[in-house]
Amino acid sequence: MSTKYNLFYPTQSQENSQLSPSTYNKKELAVYEKMPDQVKISHKELVKDGFGPNPFYHCLVAEVPEEHRSKEGHTTVGYALYFYTYSTWKGRCVYMEDLYVMPEFRGQGIGKTLMASVAKVATEQQCARLQLAVLDWNKPSLDFYISKGAQDLTDNEGWHFVRFDGAALDKLSQEAP
Amino acid sequence: MILELAVYEKVEDQVKIAQKDLEQDGFSKNPFFHAIIAEVPEEHQTKDGHTKIGYSLYFYTYSSWKGRAVYMEDLYVMPEFRGKGIGKALMSKVAQLGLAAGCTQLNFAVLDWNRPSLDFYLSQGCWDVTSDLGYHCMRCEGEALHTLAQRDL
Repeated sequence: MSTKYNLFYPTQSQENSQLSPSTYNKKELAVYEKMPDQVKISHKELVKDGFGPNPFYHCLVAEVPEEHRSKEGHTTVGYALYFYTYSTWKGRCVYMEDLYVMPEFRGQGIGKTLMASVAKVATEQQCARLQLAVLDWNKPSLDFYISKGAQDLTDNEGWHFVRFDGAALDKLSQEAP
Repeated sequence: MILELAVYEKVEDQVKIAQKDLEQDGFSKNPFFHAIIAEVPEEHQTKDGHTKIGYSLYFYTYSSWKGRAVYMEDLYVMPEFRGKGIGKALMSKVAQLGLAAGCTQLNFAVLDWNRPSLDFYLSQGCWDVTSDLGYHCMRCEGEALHTLAQRDL
């Protein structure tokens, strides 16, 4: 039987509280993607960057009623984190950085609804694209996104994500004119 | 130059936005992007009379694990001005501005057949997230995006 749930954007004070809706979900996502040691930013930084006149990201959260709370007592059971990006060919786009639903709440359409809500924001804001990244071994997620109409640009066109970080980023920046 | 980059990447029919879109989106109170232009003195202008001969376009993104990051969407230098360090200078500037804004990553994408660019970036110390970790870029657009957005919520 499906659990009723609603989607909402947490307020700054909700995120500041001890039971911040999205923080524990983000750590669980890192565990799922087999990179639990990669979560480096603090809760304080997350809150600072997500609120204010020009936030770095937006976060939509899925909440179930108290009577359906998780084994550990959480009512926030999933989230989608996204931000606006830009294509010089197509204009405004949306990038969905995270999509996560707790294991005990999967298979009920919550992930689909979260993603559809982000797509709705994209179309309402005249964005031409919704983009995201998936790990190649993550077959359930890959199949899910393809079933929603996403194309795999890495397979189809050969796009690779490339990154500068740590010492390499510092060194590169020191060479700026 | 945006069109020239599209020609280089073999997808010139994909450029759909107009100059006014770029102006509006790049210069509002909360711009969608930032751009740096490389300009040469008049006496070095191109055959067609241009002094602006390269650019980099970037915007801020976010990692829920690492925080602020900068994404370099475009990096382009006109063919006759390549091999002089202009591309590297543009990219270094984006790195510098990103670090100043509190970013811990500079991210971008390269086509796997674009060996000259891939080799250049790797020589500068970046790493291939797709090859090393297996991340694939995915995209929903056009009809697929609209169908997804209309799902009953």
